[in-house]
Amino acid sequence: MDFSQFNGAEQAHMSKVIEKKQMQDFMKLYSGLVERCFNACAQDFTTKALTTNESTCVQNCTDKFLKHSERVGARFAEHNAEQMQGGK
Amino acid sequence: MSFLFGGNNRSVEGSVDPAKVEMAMAELDMITDVFNRLVTSCHTKCISSTPNNHRYVEGELLKGESVCIDRCTAKFFEVNKKVGERMSAMGNAAQSTGTFGR
Repeated sequence: MDFSQFNGAEQAHMSKVIEKKQMQDFMKLYSGLVERCFNACAQDFTTKALTTNESTCVQNCTDKFLKHSERVGARFAEHNAEQMQGGK
Repeated sequence: MSFLFGGNNRSVEGSVDPAKVEMAMAELDMITDVFNRLVTSCHTKCISSTPNNHRYVEGELLKGESVCIDRCTAKFFEVNKKVGERMSAMGNAAQSTGTFGR
């Protein structure tokens, strides 16, 4: 996105908005990840605490998702950069 | 997303144009939405659907999964483009005939 035509006040306003959105995104990512990994990993309800297997599963699930989203982010950025070059 | 500002530190000056800010926010929302959908779709198709990951024995991305993600994102963009083209074609046709979806 191109904010070069924005004046100082507008840029300041936008960075505040973006900061707020980043916080919202983070919370969404967090709750989404909990839901995803809980559904995938919590299987055994004969105990109250997470079993060793479930714990490892949650850890792997989280790691894998974050790596996944990092990779998608990289491809997304590449695509956007290509679009920018092609469009102008 | 501070990279969007290109790191220039201009002092705060002038007033905020609501229309301009509104446009920028709509664009930002759209980009974020596309990205989130991309992450969810490709995770469903490449990661959580493989039987190996029903219990997550592995925290690293496997080779096949990485390749799948790359292809998945490329396809997603292609679909995005195709749908956009079809929709604008429909829009143009509707505008010239005065009807939509017929």
